[in-house]
Amino acid sequence: MARKERVLTANIPNAAPDDRPQEVLDELEYGKLSTKRYLYVSKHPVGEPLPTPIDDEPPYIIYLATYISYLILIIIGHIRDFFGKFFKPKEYADLIEKDGYAPWYDGFESFYVRRLKIRIDDCFARPIHGAPGRYVKCFNRIRHGKTGYLYDGTSNECLNLSSYNYLGFAQSNGVCTDYALGCVDDYGTSACSPRAISGTTDLHQKCERVIADFVGKEDAIIVSQGYGTNANLFSSIADSKTLVISDELNHASIRFGIRLSGASVKVFKHNDTKDLEKLIRNQIAQGQPKTHRPWKKIIIAVEGLYSMEGNMCNLPEIVEIKDKYKCYLFVDEAHSIGALGPGGRGICDYFSVDPARVDLLMGTFTKSFGATGGYIAGDKYLIEKMRTNYITQVYSESVPPAVMGQIISSLSVIEGTLNPGEGQERLQRIAFNSRYLRLGLKKLGFIVYGADDSPVIPVLLFLPAKMPAVSRMLYDMKIAVVIVSYPATPLISGRARLCVSAALTKEDLDYVLQKFNEVGDQIFLKFSSGIAGGSKVEGEPPRWAIEDVLATNVEDCKKPKLGYFN
Amino acid sequence: MSDVVFTTTTTTTTTTTLAPTWDLVEATIAENFVRYLDSLGNLPGGQIILRYIKSSYKNDPIRSLFELALFIFALNYFLSSKKKENKSELVKFSQREIDELCDEWVPEPLIKELSDLEKWQMYSIPTIEGHNGSHVTINNKKVVNLASSDFLNLNESESVKEAAKSTISNTGVGACGPPNFYGTQDVHVRLEEDIAKYLDGENSILYGQDFVTAGSVIPAFLKRGDLCVVDSGVNFAIQKALIVSRCNIEWYDHNDMDHLEEILTEIKPVMDKQRPIRRRFIVTEGLFANSGDVVNLPRIIELKNKFKYRLFLDETLSIGVLGATGKGVVEHYGVPREEISITIGSMAMSFASSGGFCVGANPMVLHQRIQSIAYVFSASLPPYAAKVASQAIKEITSNLNADGSSVIVSQLQKKVTFAYEKLVSLSKSSKFFEVASGPHSPIIHLALNTQYREELNLPTLYGSPVFLSTGKPSKFLNEFDDYYNIESFLLQKVIDYVLDHSSTLISRSKLILEHENLPVLAPRLQIYINNGVTTEELSRLVQILPIAFNEVLKNVDSELKLISLNSEIGNYKPHYINY
Ligand SMILES: Cc1ncc(COP(=O)(O)O)c(C=O)c1O
Repeated sequence: MARKERVLTANIPNAAPDDRPQEVLDELEYGKLSTKRYLYVSKHPVGEPLPTPIDDEPPYIIYLATYISYLILIIIGHIRDFFGKFFKPKEYADLIEKDGYAPWYDGFESFYVRRLKIRIDDCFARPIHGAPGRYVKCFNRIRHGKTGYLYDGTSNECLNLSSYNYLGFAQSNGVCTDYALGCVDDYGTSACSPRAISGTTDLHQKCERVIADFVGKEDAIIVSQGYGTNANLFSSIADSKTLVISDELNHASIRFGIRLSGASVKVFKHNDTKDLEKLIRNQIAQGQPKTHRPWKKIIIAVEGLYSMEGNMCNLPEIVEIKDKYKCYLFVDEAHSIGALGPGGRGICDYFSVDPARVDLLMGTFTKSFGATGGYIAGDKYLIEKMRTNYITQVYSESVPPAVMGQIISSLSVIEGTLNPGEGQERLQRIAFNSRYLRLGLKKLGFIVYGADDSPVIPVLLFLPAKMPAVSRMLYDMKIAVVIVSYPATPLISGRARLCVSAALTKEDLDYVLQKFNEVGDQIFLKFSSGIAGGSKVEGEPPRWAIEDVLATNVEDCKKPKLGYFN
Repeated sequence: MSDVVFTTTTTTTTTTTLAPTWDLVEATIAENFVRYLDSLGNLPGGQIILRYIKSSYKNDPIRSLFELALFIFALNYFLSSKKKENKSELVKFSQREIDELCDEWVPEPLIKELSDLEKWQMYSIPTIEGHNGSHVTINNKKVVNLASSDFLNLNESESVKEAAKSTISNTGVGACGPPNFYGTQDVHVRLEEDIAKYLDGENSILYGQDFVTAGSVIPAFLKRGDLCVVDSGVNFAIQKALIVSRCNIEWYDHNDMDHLEEILTEIKPVMDKQRPIRRRFIVTEGLFANSGDVVNLPRIIELKNKFKYRLFLDETLSIGVLGATGKGVVEHYGVPREEISITIGSMAMSFASSGGFCVGANPMVLHQRIQSIAYVFSASLPPYAAKVASQAIKEITSNLNADGSSVIVSQLQKKVTFAYEKLVSLSKSSKFFEVASGPHSPIIHLALNTQYREELNLPTLYGSPVFLSTGKPSKFLNEFDDYYNIESFLLQKVIDYVLDHSSTLISRSKLILEHENLPVLAPRLQIYINNGVTTEELSRLVQILPIAFNEVLKNVDSELKLISLNSEIGNYKPHYINY
């Protein structure tokens, strides 16, 4: 190919065709497993209590520095706003009344975006092309003006620790893709109508059968978007005389759904079953506000795996509480379905809890199956009723064929009916990879949140200035990570969130560890105290040399409790 | 500490009445005050506060006291406001009593099982075997499908399928991440450009599902204290969006521009005084999903400019259908898109894809990229779906007639007019049905004849008027309504008859009465005109419809007979093969 002169454009370019051989491309989407030693089964030992995840704390100076950083950012932001309004009124045109119209949004609302986020805007929304598999191809761009970028058409192929691709099904070639393509041929590109009108095909029914069987419920409903699944669910099961008890860190879609239903909400401390029980007891005793009539019903809403913390819900205890107090339990398995449990059947599988004990299992197809959409699984009578009174069934588009093709085929792979053996390998790779990377980071001295088997690994950065630093440095080292800060997390615990994938090889993870090690040294990120594990000598902060980590980590990460050596 | 302050403040009030002793009292207060202040110095950080208080005290002791009182008041206020509601209401129980109450408590089931009178609703959902489109297989029989929202029949277009397949072969199916985290691909950006260009907007933004679009866009701009003036016939998605946004709502009668003007005039004096000005919107639909009417856009634009409101327009049904090149009501009336501040639409209809979108000015779209929750907290649209929608726009806009109109859109419009006119003339001679939608709606609504409904003593509207009358939605769901159920069932029998006798699938307005917040129109038969259907096939339908209505309704001539249908409802068997 002749080298073309690079032209800078302000628009995101189209990806150039990739003419590397198919084997190379396949390998870039899903790396080959080099040895069976790099596998592990994700399962919680039955009967053993869930270890309370320990959130390590950095030295006080870090907290102080974080607060001061934000203070400075905020003060400077306000100063700039103050002068900006005088000297560059044009830039503030959107924030002031114009010809009798209010601004689109309040200055206060947008302060965070204008004055903080904009400084690190290049770390967000990096446009990509191609399947976000083991590698993700990000278009190279340089900042241009206040909000724009210039693109030269090239892209940076980064190891992908950012996409939700737990089982590595984000692939553009293979059995699942073939199946999805077949569905486009046989069923078209669109669902054409809401389910209740004329949007139900035999493929929908098949897909619902497959997912219900997979999660171990009598029946299921599929929806074209995970967010929409939650956002509209609660209207069908809750009304103003229902109390929904929600974990404080529940996803926005759950909170939105509860709000939409008009039900009363009470929030309990994240994953604190004591607080949950206390709340339930008091609420049953007090009943509805003002009237003190008993609640019609109480629904507990939790997530299987929390996407910002990497924590799992304490399902065994919650199920006990729920039975004891006759509450109903809704579990959002968006991140846990596929990613947890020896069979990938989610949080119930992981804890060996009978799925019948959870009333409504919700999940999405976005994270583990390389598809999109969500499902609700439950008893037959529940689902049958919901076919007539679930908002998405009647008012919203149904799931399009290609997506169902991907769901059905990826579930068949996991269950072993398609490409026997491949599903098991994927499940055991994600389990191994999650433990391997988490322990490696802990040994190096990073503060890492979350449960041992969780594929979501938040690495705490705290200081706002370190977030763009980590993101940019790693990006230059060809590693793509997501950084999250306020408002998705508390102001002071900004973090890099790594999402591990079965598509990554152990060698990829070694590369990630090496690079994290370098970055961690350069910008002072290693401040774990060792209480969350990873220490060489008990009681001492873990600060292993990278060579030692790589030499021991395969064996160590398979020990039942990560990083505790006794 | 609070005790001290309260006693001192009371002393000061007395001092004003006893002027001669003023100096004396002031000295005592000051002395006491300084003692307390000194002890403050022992606390960490207290020194700084101390210095501040001392210096200000030198200038004006009363001011310091006043400030302190204010501070304590504020503290007290914050602490009490959190607990106020619970505290005054909470009943004290011992743990034993709580145990007993927990044992006694009997909750209702999570969901009430489908009753015998409701089951038919589920049984009457058609299952299509294989490809959806203008002609489908149902119960092993080829039928004409007049129930699909893919009006232009692009789901059967080879080039659209090719676009989907080539993208899937390049990117896989899912986007695997939210747009702000590596979920935006080049095809998404292209589609945003294509939509903006097609609809003459500045910028556009994509959503993963059509239904969530309104519910996410409206709350991003309308907050508590903002105002919107809304058509009282808006669809369910907008109703919910307004409720969630918690803005103030004024309703005007459905498509009644004089009423709208009246309301705007009435509230103008209040609005004129408002400082700072809050956001104000007029919210309406292009082509109403519930009634099949087309909005009176020119009048609305005139009014919104006169009274300085922004316009939110839901073009879910009208895009791809109205206007010479399918650009919706805006093109239908020949007004510029600029006049519409926010336009939302669906890609799951005429674009044969999935997802929703929003079009408008740059700052509006950019704000959504950070503040609109269904955009921020959900995975991107699958890349192939974006490509499909881009291709659909191409299909619509690249194949033009000599007069500049789109070939497929004008074909569809001709079919709509054809069916509409035939049905209007037939309805004149039928005692049972009338055409209820407007002449341009691609979904033709057939309602039961008004007079006939009166004979059966059916109500004009169902549902609850609470939202309309108070601006706040009712706290209770609508109860199951026998009449609504039976009326819908009668229409289902017409649908079944048409399917069995003329191999054509049509539908009816399917709303969940339970959830609807606004008054609900009587159920209607709905015919979704599709470009893949020939005029002969439409003629066949038109011929069978009066017969079907007649067959189903001829014996239902009194309220008693109507109610007696309940036994038939209980026995309704699944009409479609399930898989
Ligand atoms: C817990 C949870 N529920 C629901 C969703 C929404 O799923 P989707 O991205 O498929 O809309 C997410 C995704 O971010 C999630 O984390």
